[in-house]
Amino acid sequence: MKRYLTHPWLTIRVQLALGAIFVIAAIPKIADPPSFAHMIYNYRLVPASLINLSALVMPWVELLAGLALILGIWKRAARNLIGILLAIFIIAISINLFRDNAIDCGCFNVADRGKTHEQRIFDMKVDVVRDLGMLLMVGQLWWAGKREEQEL
Amino acid sequence: MKQNTIFQSAAIVAAGIILALVANAFASRDRKVSLVGTYPNALKVPAREVQVAPIATPVTQTVATTTQPATITVPPTATTSTQPTATAAIETVGLNPMVKTPAAPAPTTTTAPTPHAPLPTPTREFTAHPDKPYIEIAYNDVKALHDKNVLFLDARRTSVYEQGHIPGARTYSVWESDIDDKVNKLFAERNDQAAQNLPIVIYCSGGDCEDSHMLAQKLWGIQFNNVYVYKDGFPDWQQHGAPVHTGANP
Repeated sequence: MKRYLTHPWLTIRVQLALGAIFVIAAIPKIADPPSFAHMIYNYRLVPASLINLSALVMPWVELLAGLALILGIWKRAARNLIGILLAIFIIAISINLFRDNAIDCGCFNVADRGKTHEQRIFDMKVDVVRDLGMLLMVGQLWWAGKREEQEL
Repeated sequence: MKQNTIFQSAAIVAAGIILALVANAFASRDRKVSLVGTYPNALKVPAREVQVAPIATPVTQTVATTTQPATITVPPTATTSTQPTATAAIETVGLNPMVKTPAAPAPTTTTAPTPHAPLPTPTREFTAHPDKPYIEIAYNDVKALHDKNVLFLDARRTSVYEQGHIPGARTYSVWESDIDDKVNKLFAERNDQAAQNLPIVIYCSGGDCEDSHMLAQKLWGIQFNNVYVYKDGFPDWQQHGAPVHTGANP
C-alpha cells in the first residue's frame, strides 16, 4: 500500500495538480487586489494594517509556489509553503464557521456572488473539506519525498 | 537539506513580496490598493441581520422615524461656487419631489424601468447629527434626497459603478487606493462647517455590504456630520424602478 501511495507515477500527478490548482487560484486575486482585500477583511481575523499587504503578497506566493511545483523547482519549499497556506485557510474558514460569520472564501473567485447566509455557510463547509483534500495531497508529496530521501 | 528548504521558502516569499509591490505600483487606479488600509471594524464580527422591513418602509438605525414634513436644514452661509451639490441643495430647501434641478444627469444614459412609480414621501428631517457617523435610511428618504440633488456617493467598486449607478452619484470605493484622495478632495470642496452639515447619501450593494458604512465613518472622522447610508443599497433602488445611469461619469 505504502509503495503505491508513494509511487513516482502518483507523486508527479499530485505535484502537477496541486501546482495547477494554486496557479489557477492565484490569478483572479492578482488581477483584482482590492476585491481580495475585501475578502480578507470579511474573515475578521487580520488586523486592518495587514489586510492590503496580505491581499497583495499572498496571491503571488501562491502563484510562485504553484509554478515551482509544476516546474519541479524547489519542490520541498513549494510544498511546505502550500501546506502552510492550506492550514491557514482551513483554520480561518473553520473559525468563521464556528462564529457563524458567513463569508465567500475568496479561494478561486474574488467577486461578491450575492449568496445567502445559508448558501455561504454550506460553501464554507465544502471549502474546508476541499482544502483538507489538498492538504492530503501535500501529505502525499511529503511522504513520497521522505521515501525518496531514504532510498538515496 | 532542511536549511536549504528554509532558504528556498524564504526566497519564494521574498520574490512574492517584490512582485506584489511592483505589480501594485504599476496597477491601474481601480486595481491598486494602499499598502496600509484603515478598516475600523477589521476584527469585529458583524451581527447577523434579520430581514424584517418590507420594501419602502423607512428603516433607521438609531433615530425613530417621524411623520413631519421633511426639510433639508441648511445653515444660511453654506453657498460657495465650488460646491455644486451643496448649492443645489440650498436652492431647494424644503422637499418637493416634483422639482428637478438643472444638474440632473443626461437622460440619454439613464433608464427608468417603471416610469409611473409613486412619488416617495420622506419620513424625517435631514439635519446634522454630529453624535453619530451615519443614519440608515430607506428608499423613500433616499429618493426624496435624490430629487433634491443631494450629493450621492457610491461605495462599490468602480467597475461595478460603471455598470450602473444612481444618477449623479460619484464613485468612492473604499477598497481602491485613491479613496483618501477623493475624501480629501470632498473636504476641500466642502471646507466650512455649514457645507459639511449638508446631507450626503452613501450606498453600496445592500444586504451585508458594509462599504457604505466604512465610507460614512471616514467622512464622519473629518467632520461631515450629516451622512446617510442607504441601507438596502443599489439593488433596492433598481427594484423600485428608479433611474439608473451607466458609465464612468456621474
